[in-house]
Amino acid sequence: MRVSKRKILSNRLFYPKFYLPLILIILLLVFPLLIRNPFYQDILVMTFLFAALAEAWNLTGGFAGQASLGHTAFFGIGAYTSSILYLNFGFSPWLGMLAGGGLAVLIAVVIGYPCFKLKSHFFVIATISIGEVLRRVTSYWAGLTGGGKGLLIPFKPEIGSFIFRDKTPYIYIALTLMLISILITYIIRKSRLGFYLISLRENQDAAESLGINTSRCKLIAFVISAFFTGIGGTFYAQYLLFIDPTSVFSLSFSIQLVLLSIIGGLGTIIGPIIGSFILTPLDSLLRGWFGGLTGFNFVVYAIILIIAVIYFPQGIMRWLDVGYKLVLKKLPGTKVPSKVSNVSLPINTFKITGLDRDKGSNILEVKGLHKNFKGLVAVKEVSFEVKKGEILGLIGPNGAGKTTIFNLITGFLLPDSGTVKFKGETITGLRPPHKICVKHIGRTFQLVKPFSKMTVLENVMIGAFSQSKKTTEVRERSKRILSFIGLLDHQDSLAANLTIADRKRLELGRALATHPELLLLDETMAGLNPKETEDIIELIRKIHEQGITLFIIEHVMKAIMSLSDRIVVLNYGEKINEGTPAEVSKNKKVIDAYLGEEYRA
Amino acid sequence: MSRVIIQLIINGLLAGGIYALVSIGLCLIFGVVEVINFAHGEFLMLGMYTTYWLFYFFKIDPYLSLLIVIPLSFLIGVITQRVLIQPLLDAPPLNQIFVTMGLSILLQNVALILWKATYRTIKTTYSSWFIKSGGLSISFPRLLACIVASGITVALLIFLKKTYVGKAIRAIAQDKRGATLMGINVHRMYQLTFGLGTVCVGIAGAILMPIYYAFPTVGLLFCLTAFAVVIVGGYNSLTGAFIAGFVIGLIESFSGFFISPHLQQGVYFAIVILVLLFKPSGLLGLKES
Repeated sequence: MRVSKRKILSNRLFYPKFYLPLILIILLLVFPLLIRNPFYQDILVMTFLFAALAEAWNLTGGFAGQASLGHTAFFGIGAYTSSILYLNFGFSPWLGMLAGGGLAVLIAVVIGYPCFKLKSHFFVIATISIGEVLRRVTSYWAGLTGGGKGLLIPFKPEIGSFIFRDKTPYIYIALTLMLISILITYIIRKSRLGFYLISLRENQDAAESLGINTSRCKLIAFVISAFFTGIGGTFYAQYLLFIDPTSVFSLSFSIQLVLLSIIGGLGTIIGPIIGSFILTPLDSLLRGWFGGLTGFNFVVYAIILIIAVIYFPQGIMRWLDVGYKLVLKKLPGTKVPSKVSNVSLPINTFKITGLDRDKGSNILEVKGLHKNFKGLVAVKEVSFEVKKGEILGLIGPNGAGKTTIFNLITGFLLPDSGTVKFKGETITGLRPPHKICVKHIGRTFQLVKPFSKMTVLENVMIGAFSQSKKTTEVRERSKRILSFIGLLDHQDSLAANLTIADRKRLELGRALATHPELLLLDETMAGLNPKETEDIIELIRKIHEQGITLFIIEHVMKAIMSLSDRIVVLNYGEKINEGTPAEVSKNKKVIDAYLGEEYRA
Repeated sequence: MSRVIIQLIINGLLAGGIYALVSIGLCLIFGVVEVINFAHGEFLMLGMYTTYWLFYFFKIDPYLSLLIVIPLSFLIGVITQRVLIQPLLDAPPLNQIFVTMGLSILLQNVALILWKATYRTIKTTYSSWFIKSGGLSISFPRLLACIVASGITVALLIFLKKTYVGKAIRAIAQDKRGATLMGINVHRMYQLTFGLGTVCVGIAGAILMPIYYAFPTVGLLFCLTAFAVVIVGGYNSLTGAFIAGFVIGLIESFSGFFISPHLQQGVYFAIVILVLLFKPSGLLGLKES
């Protein structure tokens, strides 16, 4: 067993995919030994440090899409905490570094959790404000922080006090920080959390509807990011041996991290590192060459940033990625065998198991549900039940409040009054929506919300992760679902490239992956041609055959009349009728309100 | 009430008038184009330097230089919108923030290269006039600046309420698609809005010149203050921004006296965080009708 493992490992060494990164890392490790000029050594330290910091920023700013301009707060906290502990209590900065990181985490939790509720613009302003407040407090609190004059750490070279005579140890510590930050980012990207972060960045509502606790995911990313930035702060203090409020609490520091990440490639694993490798040396060199022209380096920076954002928003990684793959192909060595077996799965292998197929009892009970929008009554004292195993249709003219009812049930809106019971358990006003999803109520959206920049398979995996943490298991299950909904052939295409009909299928598949007992479908047929409509009706029937109870909003009359066991009719937020399709279509109120003259004859 | 308190109120209101004018420009752009313009402060800086050089070379009074500053600012605003923002209208909102950030860094450092980090101010005949009464003293140029700033802010509000163009701009702010369907050229209105917002801050720069210093990073301070004003006033309310300008002015003057001059801005940034967390629609809760 052990031998074979070792053999696999040694075989792997001959794959370009494995030995090329290894060679690059070894080069990185050797390269600093060749540099003896202090000016260039300094550039190396700063390049590695800012690579690590930008990589940490990228976790929140790139992957989770929460652009913080307050990372300077964590950096400053890290720098000041270890320095104060060292100067006042003789605490080793190595321990102070952890304390600083810890304090940064604490602030990230206190500030982050409420701030994540804010829309992107306000999140930016809130995080800027945090950095500004901390800078002012630090200047003011001179007794502890030395105020505006800053803190000077006496030069006593010792390993324990994190001070070295030569720059080489600093280079290697910074390099280690950078490699760890890459490793952490890599692990996160490949794990469930990574999938979740990207999905919530792409579409928060859809992510919530698939059972993802988006606030928690953002917070985890933010906390890891803050911890790393705090550690970076300590390193910076120990390297320069001097800190003051304007150098460690500055908006331009935060902007720098954004800049490196964007230029390199936002939301990629290596992007921010590449950004720093190019821009940090460029910055230092420009400073050196154009020393007389203070500010010239920033002019170059700013122009690069503007051009990059407008013309190359994906950053350098876009080309680098292509180039890297080309090199991999050209290199000698065994190719990695594709782990994925290409045996196509038999259709209909997907089964929802463990569903109570006992028909007839109420799976969902809605009583007196009421919702006002600033004086406008959207839903007025509506009551109805959904019976286990049935297909219930919900119809009504535009603006009758159908989607509002879905949103009230699934936690996207808070009802003013009334109760919602699912399998006898009160779930009224249970929010945010992911809490509803884990109760096994799924939903789709009227305007489809695919995660456009993820592949079809990944889209379904996001839903399937609610059932398991293991990526391989989730991938397997998702493929079965793709085969069930007829999208297996498209598994590797980006969701953005699907037709409308396929996007609707994908949304059904994504919702199915969360193992729903009750599925709410919001106008699945809207915008489809007759052939596509027929196909999707067939799929809906197939889903129903799995034992899933369906609650459907639909405008396509023919479809809803033939699909539904019963129908609830809404008009101006009020329930005006309920019954079998035949009963409903004969009711005078319904005809007047909705179906129109032609049906009355 | 002691004289000190009254003096603090006066100082706060005088500063507040300028803050209101700076912020209303930011708020207008934010409300209509939905872009946080990080270069807003740098537009103020450009207004200040234009005024400074006009005075330095041609002895043109800061208030007279408005005749040049206004069209210049308008042009800068329109070009910014056309060249930098328009290509990004469909991009994620963060890209627009990043691009204005780039513009901000660019302008700051071009100013640094061209005009050095020297603090520059101008001495007009009325620079040192004071109105003294009952132990209180009011600086005449500050009073003048406050009155002009408030006057222009009110004029802008009336323009938006009464004229066709103003109504079109407000229509876009409320419902972009609806406005397009009504035949409003959204791109042109965005450019106009950006121009108008920049004119506000440009004017503020010109009338600040007799009472403040021009230096390359002067804009940052005012830009951050304007963020605070817009948040406290409610991001979609110009009237809110107008009033909040004075509120922030007062907070600054009082916290500077009672707590510490170091913490002046710290206090209102703390307020910004609290407002964002507990009442993101703004402390004043005004609704634009």
